[in-house]
Order: sequence, then structure tokens, then C-alpha cells
Amino acid sequence: MILVRQFRGLMANRQVLRTLVKRDLRVRYARSMLGYVWTILDPLAMSLIYLVVFTLIFTSKRAGNQPFFMSLIIGMLAWQWFNQSLTETSRALLSEARLVRSTSLPRELWVVRVVLAKGIEYIYSLPVIIFFAAFYIIRGELRLNWTLVYFPVAVLLIFLLATGIGLILAPVTVLVTDMTRVVRIVIRMTFYATPILYSAQAAPEALRRILVFNPLSGIMELLRTGFFDTQHVSRAAVLVSVVASVGAVIIGSALFTRLEPAVLKEI
Amino acid sequence: MKPVIEVHDLGIEFYRGRKRRMSLREMILKRQNTSPRDTFWALRHITFDVQAGEAVGLIGGNGGGKSTLLKMIAGVLIPDEGYARVRKGVAPLIELTGGFLGELTARENVYLAAGLHGMPTEEVDERYEGIVDFAGPQVRAAMQMPYRHFSSGMKVRLAFSLITTLDQPIVLVDEVLAVGDRSFREKCYVRMEDMLSGGKTLFLVSHSAGDLKRFAERGLYLRGGGLVADGPIKEVLKEYHRHTDANS
Repeated sequence: MILVRQFRGLMANRQVLRTLVKRDLRVRYARSMLGYVWTILDPLAMSLIYLVVFTLIFTSKRAGNQPFFMSLIIGMLAWQWFNQSLTETSRALLSEARLVRSTSLPRELWVVRVVLAKGIEYIYSLPVIIFFAAFYIIRGELRLNWTLVYFPVAVLLIFLLATGIGLILAPVTVLVTDMTRVVRIVIRMTFYATPILYSAQAAPEALRRILVFNPLSGIMELLRTGFFDTQHVSRAAVLVSVVASVGAVIIGSALFTRLEPAVLKEI
Repeated sequence: MKPVIEVHDLGIEFYRGRKRRMSLREMILKRQNTSPRDTFWALRHITFDVQAGEAVGLIGGNGGGKSTLLKMIAGVLIPDEGYARVRKGVAPLIELTGGFLGELTARENVYLAAGLHGMPTEEVDERYEGIVDFAGPQVRAAMQMPYRHFSSGMKVRLAFSLITTLDQPIVLVDEVLAVGDRSFREKCYVRMEDMLSGGKTLFLVSHSAGDLKRFAERGLYLRGGGLVADGPIKEVLKEYHRHTDANS
């Protein structure tokens, strides 16, 4: 089984993986705390903009869970991880071409390492969620419930999904020149097709039926359900998320192995 | 005893055309790559074994496939036919500075690059002084500086010092000896001789007959993607010179 071999290869090199992730974080945080500020500033600023647009200008009561800002920030932080993972994994082999060419490490490492480094940044940004949750709880606008246990499950699903898609994107981008542009457009469209600014249950029935097929829908529901009693968790959506995440990893590793010889000749 | 490097019926095919990459537009509109599908075998039907402790020199003109062969032994290219089986760890002196990053200090780079080649941090701690010593006082003075401020000579010196400290049983060398100033080159020679007498297996690509005679006992002559001679280095070199003289 091909997946087992790849997984073993990665485990045998976990020391290297740790080194690479550390290197990523060190480069990013090389200049003191500013790196951390960037990690949380972008989603915070964007959440603020959407808050103003949707609560003051469009005054939509249907957008979903309340407090709206809390719902937004949970979605935005997870989205940032997913989005940055895809943008960077699609360039993973090209931007590290020199390293890929000079070491015989399992090449999947270059993809996993990006998703992992971004994932650690995501974990670093979780205090923001804790801070706002505490803030709203004290004001009596928010109540946590036991389904918070699904939160780590969702995090794991994001990791798998991003890794799987990354394993597809990285070699394809090397072989197909204009893939980066396509990825950028698709990611931007996915942002609106994912319940980040809204919750799936706020969408009209017809749209909701389509949303179920977005693997990120189920993930978003699992992330939020512990914070909002109003958050509906659709079994179908969660099933789609799990199947898509596992499927992406399987298809991704198979495709990666298949394209590897051609990719190595190109970079 | 089993050979440390076993190359069997190795072949790799490259595209001769301007590019192999397709653009998405081409894929959708024409459903095929517009550049001609013109390929050639950079190497084909290569078979040989290398025993532990052997020193092998690769000889051949430009485009003979020397670097390609070395890359497949190093595992950074995957052959289309046959296999290159390597039974022990490899220290590749190919693209020496590949693992180094400009933004970080030289010191951080040593740790990271050594980690990439599988050396645990404690071991780097132990060997750090040795690595910096070998690279020279100029490099030592600059270890806290960002790596991108290094001169190209200093970069290569630090990298060479690091990779040769890795202590892998197989060493692949691709023309890196041409860099560095004269005194450093002499140090490199001494280090390579040390490694050889320490029982390491050496695989050397060079155009310099002097280097080849100095380090290698056995020669492999690659021409037009095929292995045309395999024997004692002096005879293979003679054969190579005979060929090139005949063609000029």
C-alpha cells in the first residue's frame, strides 16, 4: 500500500520535518513579535470589516450565529490556515527547488511541512478565540457547550484536507505553468462558497443543498458548534468533510508518487 | 559482500523541446502539448557495481550524462528504466549551498542544514567547532552574520566543511573542487584523502585529469548516454583522450 510507504518515509524523517517547520517559523518570527502580530492582525482586521459591512450596512439578522463577530473570527482564522496552506503548497516544490534538488528526502515532506507550519501558526492564534470567547461570556452573550470537543476533530480534518489538496497542487503546479493563477481564483471563490461570513443554516434551502458538498462546510460547523447552541450540525456535511479529507490524502499521495519523476526533471 | 552502489540497466529520458510543461490553456484548447514531443535518453542501459571503499571517477565530455548519473545515485532524480540502489548513507557534494537560507545567520544555517541531512542537534554541537575551523578564520568571524552577506567563496567553504563532516559512508562529488581559492582547495584535497583512507566510498565527477588520477582508482567513461569504458582510471582516461583527440 502506497500510503503506508509514504507515511513511513515521513515518520523516518520527522526530525527533518521538525527542523523545517522550525525554520519556517524562525524565518517568519525572525524579527521579534511582529511576525505574530501579522498572523492575527489579518483575520482580525478582515473580521472587523465584515462586521461593519454586515451588521451596520446590510443589517442582516440572518447571517447566522450571535455574537456575529465571534462566529466570524472562528471562521476567518481557520480559513486563513487553509487558504495559506493551499497558496504555499502549490509553490512548495518550486520555491524550495534548490533544496529539493540537493536532498533525497521524501518529497512529500515539502508539502506536509507547509501545512504543519501554517497549522502551528493557527494554534498560536487560538488565544484570540479564547480572548473573545471570554469577553462575550463575561458580557453574557455567549455560552459554551460540550460539543466543543468537536473542535480538535475539525482541526484534524483541515490538516488532512489541506495536505491532500497540497499533494495534488504541488506537482501539478510544476508541470502546468499557469496553475498558480487558477489556484488563486478558485481559492477566492471558495471563500464565499464556504460558510465563513454566514452559517449554512442561514442560506436558502436550495443553496444549502449545494453547500453540503463543500467539505469546508462540515468543518466550519464542527468548529462552531461548541460556541453556539444555534449552530446546526448537518450530518451529511460532516460526512462529506470526512470522506473528502481522507479521499484527498489518498488521491493526493497516489498522484504525487506518479508525477514525482517528471517533476524532478523539471525543477 | 554486497556492493554499496548497484546500478542496473539505468535509463532516463528527457524532453529535448523548449519545454515539457504545458499551460492550462494549451491543455484545454488543443488537448496536447504544442511543443514537439521530442525526447532523448540522457542515459540508457547503464550497469555497474561499486564496492565499499572504492574510489570511482566519472569521465566524459559535456552532456555525457555524468551529473545526471550522480543525481540518480544521490536519489534526487528518479530513473525511467532500471534502478540505482544505494545501500548506505550518502553525503552529496552537489549543489552545496542548497540547504542554506539567506535570512538566517550562518550559525543557525549550520544547525538547520545539518538537520536536513539527518544530523541531530547534539551531534552538531559536538562538531560545530570543527566545521567552523575548517571553513577558516574569515568564516568564523562572520558566524553571527546573516548568511546572505557571505561572499560566494565563504558560502561554499562553510557548506563543504559541513557536508564533509556528515560522516556518511558514500561521498558524491560534482565538480565542487573548482571553487574556493588555492589554499582552501588544498585543504579540500587533504580532507578528501582523509575520507578515502577512512574507508569511504567516493564518486567523483571532474574534468581535471589531475584530480581524477589523484583520488580515483577506477574510471567510468560516459559518452552519448552510454557507458563505454569501465576500468583502471589511467586506462579509461587514455581512452577518453583518444576519443576526444580523434574527434577534434
